[in-house]
Amino acid sequence: MQLQIVSNKQVSKDTYLIKIDNPEVFDAYPGQFVMVRVNNYNYPLLRRPFSIYNLSNTIDLLYRKVGEGTSMLSLKKPGDSIDILGPLGNGFKIKSDKKLILIGGGIGIAPLCFLKKKIDERKMNCETYFGFNSKDEICVDYGNIATIDGSFGYKGNVVDMAIDKIEENSLIYACGPTIMLKKLALLCHEKKCNMEVSLESRMACGMGVCLGCAVETKNGMSLVCSDGPVFDYKDILWEKM
Amino acid sequence: MGKNVNLTCKVANLIFKNPVLTASGTFGYGVEYEKHLDLNKLGGFVVKGLSIKERSGNNPPRIVETPCGMLNAIGLQNIGVDRFLKEKLPKIAKFNTHIIANIYGTQIDEFLELAEKLNNAERISAIEVNVSCPNVRVGGMLFGKDPNMVFKLTSAIKKVSDKPIIIKLTPNVSDIVSIAKAAESAGADAVSLINTIAGMVIDVKSKKPVLFNKIGGLSGPAIYPVGVKMVYEVYHAVKIPVIGVGGIYSADIALQYMIAGAMLVEVGTANFVQPNITIEIIKGMEEYAKREGISNISDIIGSCCK
Ligand SMILES: Cc1cc2nc3c(=O)[nH]c(=O)nc-3n(C[C@H](O)[C@H](O)[C@H](O)COP(=O)(O)OP(=O)(O)OC[C@H]3O[C@@H](n4cnc5c(N)ncnc54)[C@H](O)[C@@H]3O)c2cc1C
Ligand SMILES: Cc1cc2nc3c(=O)[nH]c(=O)nc-3n(C[C@H](O)[C@H](O)[C@H](O)COP(=O)(O)O)c2cc1C
Repeated sequence: MQLQIVSNKQVSKDTYLIKIDNPEVFDAYPGQFVMVRVNNYNYPLLRRPFSIYNLSNTIDLLYRKVGEGTSMLSLKKPGDSIDILGPLGNGFKIKSDKKLILIGGGIGIAPLCFLKKKIDERKMNCETYFGFNSKDEICVDYGNIATIDGSFGYKGNVVDMAIDKIEENSLIYACGPTIMLKKLALLCHEKKCNMEVSLESRMACGMGVCLGCAVETKNGMSLVCSDGPVFDYKDILWEKM
Repeated sequence: MGKNVNLTCKVANLIFKNPVLTASGTFGYGVEYEKHLDLNKLGGFVVKGLSIKERSGNNPPRIVETPCGMLNAIGLQNIGVDRFLKEKLPKIAKFNTHIIANIYGTQIDEFLELAEKLNNAERISAIEVNVSCPNVRVGGMLFGKDPNMVFKLTSAIKKVSDKPIIIKLTPNVSDIVSIAKAAESAGADAVSLINTIAGMVIDVKSKKPVLFNKIGGLSGPAIYPVGVKMVYEVYHAVKIPVIGVGGIYSADIALQYMIAGAMLVEVGTANFVQPNITIEIIKGMEEYAKREGISNISDIIGSCCK
């Protein structure tokens, strides 16, 4: 789908928010993602997966500049056209009988911000815990914030900040670095609570055909793109991650 | 100008409405692409490599991107031939296009069992045999590396199968022409080439290969000149039709393959980037023919000066 870029701005250190004109056909659930073609040539070849950060009359993606593709994306200007494929994958399931806790690390907050919006729209409550390395990376203006270097909010990692709030009746929605998710998985196991995690993996097609984005689960190999990216943490073989 | 271009091509007893097919492993079982393009418009599609038993494939990481290409070590994950026939084939049978089954085994008997099972499937037009896999009976050497092994395998399959047999060649050999000739003399109806090129990518920080499997297969635009050259060489050495595969992402590259000698082409990795790329390629071919005053696209096959 060729769409027009409305804006593309840096919002914090190495972090950008791109807004893309949303034709009405496009609807999506929190946790779903799109595959973005960062240019029309063969380099870089593959599309880049990004979670949907917000959806209104624009499709918004929050991304961190980490390599070639995201650097090229950061140079795009309003009015440029961009090719996106989606929405893809399975998102988070909002459950009303649980204490909802959103825990995001770094750019992993992107799908959670969209989830928060949907939870708010349903007039339900949730707690949000977001972790960053330092103050200059923060790209959200609500929630409980932790920074590793202590330059803002809680000093330390976001899991340690949230640990006391997690109860048996909690349902955690998490996205972030693998070490953070592993730590949370252990915690959920101890506290006997539930968690839905959004995973990342290298993928070529985003639609379940290349079979590149496999993760090992209790049910054998699953694909992050079409079985996920959101999984029940109990299904994941964390020792293999 | 304005005249209709005849895009049809013939391989064995099969008429293809145009020369553009999709390559195995890059088009799932077809159904996944239904919402992106009209499958009826394709010359045909080759489904993901089938084995006797369902296979879960290699551990991750399975893919890594390279300049204008990608390296994969999927490990031939697939649902197995029985589930394919029961669950997938009925869903794609309605499409008015050729469905080609790609098969793979670790010993000759497995290939034969696969070919026999597919024999009764009316909608399977032909069988493409992936010989880029290790033969466990001879210490894991790839079938496709040894002309004798390719000869034995091809003649055995020809004995049990009524379908046209396409042998899909690996480029990871010192002399692809001798392998193609072996397939031809064993009765193959066509050869397709190339499969992926063996490669490795290393993470300098951990000093480990990025892929769990260490080695993977390179595909994508980066490899097309290798494929075009090999098609050119094989075309001049065999009489059976040659099917060109490798790095095709535009009508121009597809035409290069045909001019080098390919009767049909298969589009692979490009489907991941642009799901409807095959339709664009068909259009581009038609425009080329009109521009050049060619009424039958098959006239350009092998027209490259020797
Ligand atoms: C389902 C999903 C949702 C994502 N959502 C977001 C998001 O909302 N915001 C954001 O900033 N990032 C997100 N990512 C990660 C993002 O896709 C990568 O940061 C991006 O692909 C990096 O591209 P690059 O060319 O800049 O990096 P390079 O390192 O140059 O990329 C090289 C190759 O590796 C792949 N790759 C590198 N890092 C990752 C990664 N972490 N996950 C998957 N593939 C990777 C690239 O796609 C590319 O093919 C998501 C990933 C997945 C799988
Ligand atoms: C992810 C992936 C999976 C593949 N799986 C198969 C397979 O199951 N059987 C097979 O014969 N070839 C397989 N191939 C090889 C392709 O069919 C094709 O020969 C090769 O990728 C070169 O073409 P391309 O550059 O257009 O992709 C696979 C390729 C890729 C990228």
